[in-house]
Amino acid sequence: MLFVAKRLGSALLVMFAISIVVFLIFFATPGVDPAARLAGRGASPEVLSQVRHAFGFDQPLPVRYVLMMDHLFVTRDLTSYVNIGDKVVPQIMQAAPVTLSLVLGAAVIWIVLGLGGGILATRFRGSVVDPIIMVIGIAAVSLPAYWVGEVVNLITQDRLHDSVFSWVPPLGYVPFAQNPGQWALHLLFPWLTLALLYGGIYARVLRAELVTAMGEDYVRTGRAKGLSERRILWRHALRGSLSPVVSLFGLDLGSLIGGAALLTEVVFGLPGIGKLTWDSLQNLDLPVIMACVLYAAFFVVAANAIVDLLYAVIDPRVRRA
Amino acid sequence: MRTITKTLVSVIAAASLLVLAACSSETSTDSGGGSSGQHTGGTLHLTAQSAGGTLDPQVNYTLQYWQLYQGAYDGLLTYARVGGKKSEDIVPDLATAMPKVSTNGKTYTFQLRKGIEFSNGKTVTTDDVVASFRRLFKVSSPNAGSWYNVIVGADACLKTPASCTLNGGVVADASTNTITFNLTQADPEFEAQLAMPFASVLPADTKAKDEGTTPIPTTGPYYFASYSPNKALVMKRNTHFKSWSAEAAPVGYPDEIDETFGLTAEAEVTAIENGQADWMYDTPPSDRLSEISSKYASQTHVTPLTALWYLGLNTNIAPFNNEKARQAINWAIDRSAVVKLYGGTSLASPACTILPPDFPGHADFCDYTKNGGNTWTAADVDKAKQLIQQSGTAGQSVGVVVQNDSVNKGIGLYLVSLLNQLGYKATLKALSNNIQYNYIQNTGNHVQMSLTQWYQDYPAASDFLRVLLSCASFHPNSDSSINIAGYCNTGLDAQMAKADDEGLTDPTAANAAWGEIDKAYMSESPLVPLFNPKLIDFTSNRVSNYQFSDQYYMLVDQLWLK
Repeated sequence: MLFVAKRLGSALLVMFAISIVVFLIFFATPGVDPAARLAGRGASPEVLSQVRHAFGFDQPLPVRYVLMMDHLFVTRDLTSYVNIGDKVVPQIMQAAPVTLSLVLGAAVIWIVLGLGGGILATRFRGSVVDPIIMVIGIAAVSLPAYWVGEVVNLITQDRLHDSVFSWVPPLGYVPFAQNPGQWALHLLFPWLTLALLYGGIYARVLRAELVTAMGEDYVRTGRAKGLSERRILWRHALRGSLSPVVSLFGLDLGSLIGGAALLTEVVFGLPGIGKLTWDSLQNLDLPVIMACVLYAAFFVVAANAIVDLLYAVIDPRVRRA
Repeated sequence: MRTITKTLVSVIAAASLLVLAACSSETSTDSGGGSSGQHTGGTLHLTAQSAGGTLDPQVNYTLQYWQLYQGAYDGLLTYARVGGKKSEDIVPDLATAMPKVSTNGKTYTFQLRKGIEFSNGKTVTTDDVVASFRRLFKVSSPNAGSWYNVIVGADACLKTPASCTLNGGVVADASTNTITFNLTQADPEFEAQLAMPFASVLPADTKAKDEGTTPIPTTGPYYFASYSPNKALVMKRNTHFKSWSAEAAPVGYPDEIDETFGLTAEAEVTAIENGQADWMYDTPPSDRLSEISSKYASQTHVTPLTALWYLGLNTNIAPFNNEKARQAINWAIDRSAVVKLYGGTSLASPACTILPPDFPGHADFCDYTKNGGNTWTAADVDKAKQLIQQSGTAGQSVGVVVQNDSVNKGIGLYLVSLLNQLGYKATLKALSNNIQYNYIQNTGNHVQMSLTQWYQDYPAASDFLRVLLSCASFHPNSDSSINIAGYCNTGLDAQMAKADDEGLTDPTAANAAWGEIDKAYMSESPLVPLFNPKLIDFTSNRVSNYQFSDQYYMLVDQLWLK
C-alpha cells in the first residue's frame, strides 16, 4: 500500500515539475510574446495592452501558472491561444480515441510480428531463417516511421492509387461508432507502419532473451530429462523470456498512447494526441502544449508505475528496495 | 495577411519550374458572369494544413479566412468580388451607394440598403452597423488602434473598450436609414478600411468578446454551419440571402463549402490529384511542382502577388546605422540568385522598389542595379565594397536572422556568404517560423539583418510605406513593432502626411508623390527589396470558372463543380 502511495506521489511530483518547465521555457523564449501574436500584426500599443490585460499576461508568472492550472484541471475551460474559444480539454478527449485506435491496433500486429519473429528465429537458429528474420528486424527498426509512412502514401495514394490500391480510402480518420469497417480500413496502413518499427524491436529483444534462456541450467536439465526441443522452447524458455518483453511493452504503450506516435499521425492525417501536440508546437499554442505534455507525462508515468507494480508482484525484492 | 507566407515556405526546385513557366495560365477566367442555375450545386472540398484561428471576422487577420469571408460577411463597402483588375475597386455593399463625403473629408454618410437579412432571419438595421463598430473596439480588433482610430470617440474606446460608445463618431438615423461617420481628421484610406473584413456588419446582439470558434450570423450567400479547428469548417447556403449586387454580393455556386484541416501539404496535393479535395490553401511543396505543372497543367494557376520579400536592416545599431553600409547591401544583392533560391522566375520576379509593380503609387525605378535603368539587371559588388570601405564598417560582425525552412535558410546562407565576401563576419541564425517574425521586430533582440515579407492589406501605397517605415510603426522593445528596420525619418513622415492629404482631392498626384517617397526611402536604404512572389493555386479536375481577385485571391464561391 505504501508502495502504491509512494508511486502516486512521485508521479504527481514529476507532472508538476514538467508543467513548470514547459511554462517557463515558453515564457522565456524571445519572440514569443503571446499578446503580440494574439493581437495581430501591426497592432497599436493600446490594442496590445488591452489584449495583454484580457488574457492576464500582465500578471506575475506564478499567478499566471496557477490560473492556467486552475482552468485546465478545476474549471476545465482552458482555451487555445490560437484557435480562440476552442477548449483544450474536449480537444484532448476527442483526440484520445484516435490515438488509442491507432496504438492498440498496431500493438496487436507488432506483438504477433515480434513474438512470431523472435520464436521463429530462435527455433531455426543456425539455419538461414534466423539471420533473415534478424536482418528484416533491424531494417524495420532503422526505417523512420515518417519515411515509411510517406512511402506507403506515395504508393497507395498516388502511384498505384488508380490500380492496385484503388480500395484505399483518403487519409484521415473515421470513428469506430460511425462505421467500423471504414475505421479499420482508414487505420490499416497506419497500423502496419507503426507496427513495423516495434515488431522489429520486439523480435530482436525476444530472440536475445530466448537464446540466453536456452543456455540456462534449467533448460539443460529439461533436455537431460528428455523433453523435446519444442516443449523446452514453448513451455520453459519462452515463459522466462517474456517478462522483459512485457515491461518493454508497458512502457512503449504508455508513451505511444501519450502521443509518441506523433509522426505516424501527422503523415497519415490522423487527428490524435500526437497530431495535436505537433500542431500546438507549430503554433506555439501554450495551453494545448501544456495539456498535451501533461497528458503524455501522465501515461508515461502511469505505465512506469504499473510496470513497477507488476515487478513488485512478481519479485518481492523490488518491494524492499 | 502575412500569415500566408507561412505556407509559402517550401518553394524551391528550380528545374520543375521551367515546366511551370510553360503552363502559367495567367489567372484565366474560364467564363465570365454566368447566370446561376446551370452551374449551381455540389460540395466544394477545400483542404488546409491547419485552421486559421478564430472565426470572428472582426478579429481574424489571416488570408485563409478573409478569402472565405467573401462569401459570408458584408460591410458597408467591399472590394468588388470579381476576377481581374476590377477587384481593386471599392464598391457599395450593404450601403446603397458610395458615401457622401463632406468637403473637409471628415464626414462620411451612408444609406443602408433595406430588406437585407442575417442568416438568423433578423433584418439588418442601422443599429447593427453602430454596434459592429463599437464591437470592433470591444474585441480589440488588430487594427482598431491603427486604422479605425480616426473615428471620433475612438480614443476613449481604445482606453476603456468595455464602455465604448463612439458617441458622435458613428451616428445612426433609423428614420432615414443613414449612418454617418465623423472622423477626427480626413483619411484617404477610410473607405478601403471600411471594405476590410474587420468592418463587417454583425448582429447588434453579438457578444462583445472574440467569439472564437462560435460562428456569428452572416449576411452573404453562405453561413458558417460548424467550426472545429482540428477537423473542419463547414459553410452552407444562407437561405435568407438574395443577391443585391452582382459586384458586391454575387450568388455563390456550390451548395456547400468545406475546409478540412490536418493533411500535410504533400498529402493535400495527392488528395487533389485523386479528386478527394478540390483546392489546397497551402502552397504545393517544391518536389511536387514539376508533377502538377506537367500532368495537371490545366489545373494549375499562377498569379503575381502585390507582395514583397525584403531584408530589414536595423538602422539603430552597427553596422547598418551607417547609410553607406546599408546602400552597399542594396548594391551587392544578386536578386536573380535570390529568385532562383525561391523557385525561379515563374514564382518570383526581382524587386527594386518597396511598392510592388502594378500597385498604386509604384514608380518604375531601380537605384541599385549595375549600368542603371529602371529594371534590375545585375549586382555591383565593387561599388558595394567601395561603399563599405568608406563607411568604415568592414570587419564588423553581422547576424542574419531567417526562418528555418529550406527556402528561407537557402537565402540566408547566400546572404552570409555575400556578407563575408563584402568583408563582414556574418553568421546565420535560423529561427522557427513561428518565432522569427515577432523576434526580429523586438529591438531588445538586437537583430542586425532579417529576411521577411509583407503582403498587402488593401491596395494603397501607405499600406507598405507607412506601415513598414513610419516613425509611428516603431515601438522599441516590443514584439509588435512592424517597422523592422527601426527607421524613423520625420521629414519623410511629413511627406507621407502630405501625400495623404493630396489623396483626398487628387489621387493621381498623390500616387506620384508616393512614388517619390518610395524613391526617397530607397536612397536611405533601411530595407532591401528582394523580389515580388507569385501564387500557385492547384485545383481538382472537377472545378472550373477559376477567377482571381487581387484583393482576396481565388474567388472560392464562384467555382463551378462538375
